[in-house]
Amino acid sequence: MKNIPENKVSNVLIILLLLIHTQLAYGESESELINQAYQSTYKPDTSPRILIKNATILTGTGELLENSSILIDSNRIVSIGNDDANNAEIIDAKGKWITPGIIDIHSHMGVYPAPSLRGNSDGNEATNPVTPHVWAEHSVWTQDPQFTLALKGGITTFHVLPGSANLFGGRGVTLKNTRSVTVQGMKFPNAPYTLKMACGENPKRVYGNRDSEPSTRMGNVAGYREAWIDAQSYMQAKALSEKLSDDEESDEEQELFKRDLKMETLSGVLKGEILIQNHCYRGEEMAVMIDIAKEFNYRVTAFHHAIEAYKVADLLADNGVCAAMWADWWGFKNEAYDMVWENVAMVDQAVNGTGCAIVHSDSAVGIQHLNQEASKALSAGLRAGLDISKARAIQWITLNPAKALGISDQVGSLEVGKMADLVIWDGDPFSTFSKAEKVFIDGHLSFDATKKGGFIRTDFDLGIINPEGDRL
Amino acid sequence: MKIIKYSLVFLFLSPLHAEINETILIKNATAMTAMKSGTLQNTDILIVDGLIAKIGQNLNFENAIVIDATNHFVTPGLIAPHSMIGLQEIELEAETRDDSTDYFSSGFSIVDAYNPSSALIPHNRTGGITTAIVTPSSGHHVFSGMASVFKLDGKLTEESIGQDIAMVMSFGGSEDSRASQMLLIKDGFIKAKNYHKSRSQIMRGGYFDFGYYTPRDLEAILRVVSKEIPLIVRTDRARDILRMIAFSNSHEIDIILAGAKEAWRIADKIALESIPVILDPMDNIPSSFDSIAARMDNASILNNAGVKILITSQSTHNSYLSRQGAGNAVAYGLSEEDALKALTINVASVFGLDERIGTLEVGKDADLLIWDGHPLEVSSFTKKIYIDGKEISTVTRSQRLRDRYLKKLGLD
Repeated sequence: MKNIPENKVSNVLIILLLLIHTQLAYGESESELINQAYQSTYKPDTSPRILIKNATILTGTGELLENSSILIDSNRIVSIGNDDANNAEIIDAKGKWITPGIIDIHSHMGVYPAPSLRGNSDGNEATNPVTPHVWAEHSVWTQDPQFTLALKGGITTFHVLPGSANLFGGRGVTLKNTRSVTVQGMKFPNAPYTLKMACGENPKRVYGNRDSEPSTRMGNVAGYREAWIDAQSYMQAKALSEKLSDDEESDEEQELFKRDLKMETLSGVLKGEILIQNHCYRGEEMAVMIDIAKEFNYRVTAFHHAIEAYKVADLLADNGVCAAMWADWWGFKNEAYDMVWENVAMVDQAVNGTGCAIVHSDSAVGIQHLNQEASKALSAGLRAGLDISKARAIQWITLNPAKALGISDQVGSLEVGKMADLVIWDGDPFSTFSKAEKVFIDGHLSFDATKKGGFIRTDFDLGIINPEGDRL
Repeated sequence: MKIIKYSLVFLFLSPLHAEINETILIKNATAMTAMKSGTLQNTDILIVDGLIAKIGQNLNFENAIVIDATNHFVTPGLIAPHSMIGLQEIELEAETRDDSTDYFSSGFSIVDAYNPSSALIPHNRTGGITTAIVTPSSGHHVFSGMASVFKLDGKLTEESIGQDIAMVMSFGGSEDSRASQMLLIKDGFIKAKNYHKSRSQIMRGGYFDFGYYTPRDLEAILRVVSKEIPLIVRTDRARDILRMIAFSNSHEIDIILAGAKEAWRIADKIALESIPVILDPMDNIPSSFDSIAARMDNASILNNAGVKILITSQSTHNSYLSRQGAGNAVAYGLSEEDALKALTINVASVFGLDERIGTLEVGKDADLLIWDGHPLEVSSFTKKIYIDGKEISTVTRSQRLRDRYLKKLGLD
């Protein structure tokens, strides 16, 4: 885990610098143009000053604070462990627990919404195995009723990915769980872009069934490598074109360099600006994907659905690659047959506890109970004799996904200065009987289980069962 | 309750207890009985000849194997009410699946396909499932076939403890109109009744238009018509449930609802008709226009209205996660005791197995579990498993893989 944060922080810095640079010299390069055109418009109103006290707090930094308090004001966390109310509204959380807002690094909400219809199934551009030019955010339906269900489960941030039909599925997008008519209004400010890649059965099944490449795992790997070679050539050609236009003031006509959306995403990865989120089940495939990253000098940020991560947990830890896993899904396809309940815990504990383990959902049901998934993974680890605390396990659904999304400077833990995204649970969040009682996003009470109608419904929920009522 | 008992059938089908059973005395358990008696503290359970012989305090029995269960919950073995355990190994690999057919419909029996060596069996047993109602997924047209019951002891010679005990069908939104599906169902029943009337002529070579059905299918429907077995109807939309209730009343048959995501909207009607409901309490996604009204408290609303609920998991591979569903139902208003009943005795009684299994009760099969925590917590697993009074290993293939790699990673 050690070598991940620096890298993520540097990625964030690069992007921040790029943004500042964009303001100074507008329109200078393509990636700056892209950020300018599609950036987040999410800007929360200034939130009130609230002191939540007498709670058991899992900070997400690896600590458990008993009978402690947290002060939030103006969208940020102001102090922890300080009971001085100082004009704050007070919430007594005696007997309750507080965690950072839960982050799901693998969701298809919005691109595969409910109800599932042909007209809104927008998650897989399964027409070509290499589609890095498509962006999940351009498919997101902002009125997906699954968003509010996830909110009730404590989800404050989630990462929406294209599906896994393709070798390169397209760009993912990190969203805040706020209601907005536009996807720009949900986008996590300054979160880096991600690129979905997929190993294994899905691409070879989808294209193999059409008698086209890839139809095998070796076909998959050839496909990745060819695309990266194209990206390298593109970058060289682009650099050359820029050099020529800078150097030569002659009258000679320059051939106009044409932008290529596929190559812009791939070169963004090679420049370290876009984070690879790689659907990959089998141990040997993860090892091959790490080799491909070495061949082309990029990094795999996280393997997703990594059923066999435990088989290569040391390799992942040594290479600073996170694994995002289910607690117990298995058997739905051949590459998901070797599941172990201890997968998450073993990745976490590998190489002296330097592994980066994440619990993800990939499910509109699972995302509502990610705390229970973490609880399953923790208890499996404990049964196997691994020494893991709740304070550490909560990081599997908070700080670690934040790191792997390049947003851990803003969310993922309860630390002064971070966004005031937090959940008050009515009991121990590792218990099946506990529920999220209050969910704060940027200091705003976004869900309140104690109040009827304590959340904003999506358009879909209005009048859908009977015209005068709401769905839930 | 319209569901009849099938105990006579089971009497003939029950496996012979040829092996000599050990006498086991479980001491000081926190016994969740799944009966009116609720949870009994510091309780001893005596197992003799594969049956629960005594339940009480300070029991003694000479030469019994004594198991100390102090600070541990003991429950009856859990019963999966609706799964494909033993019929599928890998979902996407058709050759590993035996849960559907293109040839038969209502008469499709899955008994000959059941694989007691499936890796899913020890996996789910360790999670707490000791008996499964094994159902086909789909057949030719609306009927999927018939469900049978298996104990999950994994013996190669294991026989079904209840063969073809219920018929399964689906009703709802699909390519074909649901009205057309209803006509197919009605035609099937009319055809079966006509077939019954003219069976002797048909046997002598008389003409009969079987339509979509084989004689086997119509014979099976006649078992539903005579109330010998119930019909499990997989359906979600409240209106569809009402139409199926009307259909069942017109033919005077017993139905069981499965899925039933919108059942809460007509909870009182379902209670009045004494129709049991198999459901996954966590399935609150309005995933189609059949289930727009799905919600987390479907289970507790139905239960509180007096409906007998049976809690299932939607994943066959993780059928034991019915416990997670039950735990979540508790978080949304169901009592712990009713949640446990929904995993045990409610299933047994609806399928006519309650003479043998479903409660911690003297005289019943000693199918019981000793837990390492509260059985409705996702963090809990079984510590010891008994089926017919015999201790069954809790080891799974998953644990074997785990141990190999714990060692490799230096974490053992």
